[in-house]
Amino acid sequence: MFINWALQEINLKIVYYGPGMSGKTTNLEYIHRKLDPSLTGELVTLKTKEDRTIFFDFMQIEVGRIKGKKPKFNLYTVPGQVYYASSRKIILNGVDGIVFVADSQRDRMEGNIETLLDLEKNLMESGHSLESFPWVIQYNKRDLPNAESIQVLQKKLNFFNVPSFEAIAIKGIGVFDTLKAIINLVVQHVQRQL
Amino acid sequence: MVQVKKMKDGSRQVILTAQQFDEITKVLSELAAKTKASTILLADMSGQLITQRGHTDDINTAILSALAASDFAATSEMAKLVGEDAKFKLLFHEGEKRNVYLSNVGDNFFLVVVFDVSVTLGLVRIYTKKAIQNLLKIFRESEKGEDASKIIDKDFTSMLGDILDESFK
Repeated sequence: MFINWALQEINLKIVYYGPGMSGKTTNLEYIHRKLDPSLTGELVTLKTKEDRTIFFDFMQIEVGRIKGKKPKFNLYTVPGQVYYASSRKIILNGVDGIVFVADSQRDRMEGNIETLLDLEKNLMESGHSLESFPWVIQYNKRDLPNAESIQVLQKKLNFFNVPSFEAIAIKGIGVFDTLKAIINLVVQHVQRQL
Repeated sequence: MVQVKKMKDGSRQVILTAQQFDEITKVLSELAAKTKASTILLADMSGQLITQRGHTDDINTAILSALAASDFAATSEMAKLVGEDAKFKLLFHEGEKRNVYLSNVGDNFFLVVVFDVSVTLGLVRIYTKKAIQNLLKIFRESEKGEDASKIIDKDFTSMLGDILDESFK
């Protein structure tokens, strides 16, 4: 979190984390498309030729002033593919809240678990832990025929019982609910720590 | 000093007071005047823009800061791979019309100087170095910091909830 007293700005960094192809960029693209252009900046995506995120996606949201204060949310995604481990670590620097985008498809369970462990490892290195850090889970791709049941997903991934959301990010279902939840969680968390 | 608080859960909080902000802005303005830089940014290593000077209307400086922070982070990893103990202190990108010079300011911050190719790099280096010394001095100067609880109170939290509902319809 960065507070600029002179400008009364409060800046928060939110990172979308998850395995490759789980829909992290799709979340940001939907938010960017749907939000009033006055609230959002450009969406930057650093993609490979194959349309895969190579470093990160980034966009900033401003929702106007609240009691004279100006909250700004910086949204990032990480590249999901296993071999971009160091990019993921870099992007977590200074993070305030995390959205874990899980792929609901049955055969992606292992990828979800692996990435969640990778997240925990990276958080530990900067002194955080999933147990006490503000994060939410989004179960994406609920519309696919091979989607795992929510009960199983919850049992295998949501061991800290954080808020979770069902989503079909490509249609925008669950996207704003997830974003709202993480922003509220981060702000409450910051308040509790003061 | 600039408050960089480590919170209980390990997260970091950076709070800049109004006075520090004014002083920092002054240093950057002087640097811009001396180097004729078109744009100067001060940001933190997480990619958060702190302040900017020069022509910033035609550049999205929030994005520039995010990219520059990653640039820094990526080259630090590169430094490790080639056996450097410390981070690379500066990065330089040479263009046809404009050059970009990045230099760290202590461990937590960095400067981005965008300047015309007609300006010599040496000049930019000298004045940037001086500016960094001044910035570090501002960061170190002891001063009672502001309390973040004054800015994020209960009202703020509930009003934010309402405004999000409104914006994310």
